[in-house]
Amino acid sequence: MSFSITTAGRARRLAAAALVTAAAMGSLVGCSSSSSASDGPTTISLSMQNPDVKTADPATWAIIQAFEKANPNVKVEVTGEAVAEHLQKLSIAAQSDTLPDVFWVYKSNAEDMLKGGKLMNLSPVLSELGLSDKFPKSTVSNFTSGDAIYGVPYQGLLTGLWYNKKILQDNGLQVPVTFDDLLAVAKKLKEKGITTISNGANQSAFSVWSFLTDLDRFGYADKIDGILNSTGSFNNADFLRLYQHIAELRDAGAFASNVSTQTYQQAVDQFTSGKAAMLDAGVWGSSAIQKSSVAGNVGFWAGPQFKDGVGNQNIIMNVASAPLVVSAKVSKDNAKLAAVKKFIAFYYGDEAQQMLVDNGQPPVTTYKPKVDPSSQSALRAALDAASAPGVSSPESQPDLLVSTPVANAMYDSIYGVIQNQLTPQQAVDLVQAAVQSK
Amino acid sequence: MIAPALILFTLFLVYPVIYSLGFSFTKFQGFGSPEFIGLQNYISLGQDPFFWRALQNTVIILIVSIVLLVPGSFALALLLRRKVPGGGALRALVFGPAIIAPILVGLIWVFILDPKIGLLNRLLGFVGVAPVQWIGGDTLTPYAVALVFIWGSIGFAMTIFYAGRQVLPEDVMEASELDGATGFQQLRYVTIPMMRETFAIVTILMITSVFKIFELVYMLTGGGPVHRSETLVSYMYFTTFTNQKYGLGMALAVIITVLGAVVSVAYLALSRERKTA
Repeated sequence: MSFSITTAGRARRLAAAALVTAAAMGSLVGCSSSSSASDGPTTISLSMQNPDVKTADPATWAIIQAFEKANPNVKVEVTGEAVAEHLQKLSIAAQSDTLPDVFWVYKSNAEDMLKGGKLMNLSPVLSELGLSDKFPKSTVSNFTSGDAIYGVPYQGLLTGLWYNKKILQDNGLQVPVTFDDLLAVAKKLKEKGITTISNGANQSAFSVWSFLTDLDRFGYADKIDGILNSTGSFNNADFLRLYQHIAELRDAGAFASNVSTQTYQQAVDQFTSGKAAMLDAGVWGSSAIQKSSVAGNVGFWAGPQFKDGVGNQNIIMNVASAPLVVSAKVSKDNAKLAAVKKFIAFYYGDEAQQMLVDNGQPPVTTYKPKVDPSSQSALRAALDAASAPGVSSPESQPDLLVSTPVANAMYDSIYGVIQNQLTPQQAVDLVQAAVQSK
Repeated sequence: MIAPALILFTLFLVYPVIYSLGFSFTKFQGFGSPEFIGLQNYISLGQDPFFWRALQNTVIILIVSIVLLVPGSFALALLLRRKVPGGGALRALVFGPAIIAPILVGLIWVFILDPKIGLLNRLLGFVGVAPVQWIGGDTLTPYAVALVFIWGSIGFAMTIFYAGRQVLPEDVMEASELDGATGFQQLRYVTIPMMRETFAIVTILMITSVFKIFELVYMLTGGGPVHRSETLVSYMYFTTFTNQKYGLGMALAVIITVLGAVVSVAYLALSRERKTA
């Protein structure tokens, strides 16, 4: 009897403790929700794909600082993790309905979230702010699903091959134009023990930007819908030819012997220390290049033109990267909605776009930036390459048009050939298998 | 009295395991709702060459580690037990790598094993040996990972053996000496049999540690080239978080848990059988 009384007493104490804990948590939740509704500053949360936004993404950081200065009633709470952790966090938040107000996410994930009603349709906001016409048409169509615009461009994706003019000149070489030229350069530099294209697969399998552009030189844009709806295949004669060309480059000794263990950052260091003739990267690399000893000798090349390619060869990848999206919950909170509108208006205003440029990024609107030709010579070279006469850009980078597993298979297929782990045929089969794996 | 412990154990161990098991029967990519697909994830893994490669690498690392690490750490414990000047410092030195975070161990060894910039190939170059692809190739990487794992774990295992040897009753040792047992005979017929439990603990700890190797692979090769150097856990990480195939990743997690448990239980059963024999 006494045992049961004791047990009941314990149960009551446990229940009371649980109630007190719940009440305490409830009051905490109440405090946090009332903070945005009070007369004080409205806080909007911004979640990014960098562990340290201040140092890893100085352009975004500068914009946030300037925005808060211009809008003292709005505070931007920035958080960030590496991509995989960031996506994991978003996945958990999506399930518990606690998504950040504004966040970076892959296009394919954003489309899933939109279907699940987790994202806000930004179309009315962009019209209200007069921003619809400030974005290139391809950017808007890229982030449109049905009638909804679910995202705005985070940053520009202007990619290609940075090259060291001095290394080429010292070895009696011209900047290549065609793939055959590039092959000749690789063979000559191999004889001198110089790496032609610096890249690194370790922890950065995605660092194959120039080869993704090459896919577009073999008709990717026209083929991808068919590949995804099973009327076509990644295992086609055109793509196979591209992978054979990558194998030719490998056999010519174009890549570093430690490409498997080298990280992307080490590849950048290899180029900026003058030990490689080219770097497979994008305009984001301009800041590091500008600070290095090779800054005065650097140019930007859109990549090789193929005589056996498909369609327009004079292209450069100059597209919007993954989008910034807004949680659907924001539209239900007037204070937050107003703050997010202010943030979007500021981010895509001319002042912020110039800040992007000042931090080595191209503008994502139609804004014509001011670029100092001496202190921003690397960025100038990339922007000049993007606006060269006759050059055009695909609407999107190939990996941004497919699901994450297919994109990863694309990276693996390219690095697989570069590292001599896959034959060209195995490489295209690998991607096709990922496409078929629903 | 065990209720609080049982609640905590259920909450933080049993529930996540059951939750993962449930997810392993679904198709879930992080966003949206999980879709029940039965055993499809397990069938997909069976057809996935990268999974088999990861399993093969894990088995190689397990065998190399157990074969070298257990006797090696035991020998070190006996060696460092002897009264030699600076014995304490030596023990601390051997234990040192065990307190370095595995991610840093990986980073240190990249600069030693990298085929182009690594210290080892440079040293070998001085004596005319051509560069060897210790990591980043598709042959030697699991062996290199095993050796780095041994380097990082040997101090810990040695400490357990050292403690186990310290508590052996000295009168038994003295009695065996008086009976005329040689050093080897004492080791073979007294020390090792009396430390059977310690051997079991070390072996089980090392088996479970091998099934958790992730950071070393992540830093040394990132699982590459093209997943050729993945272990089960690093491939699970890639599948779950990089490829965002949460259901498939959880199926892999279940397989890892089952394999780890089976190998550990099999070893324990074998060990008990010998004891009773």
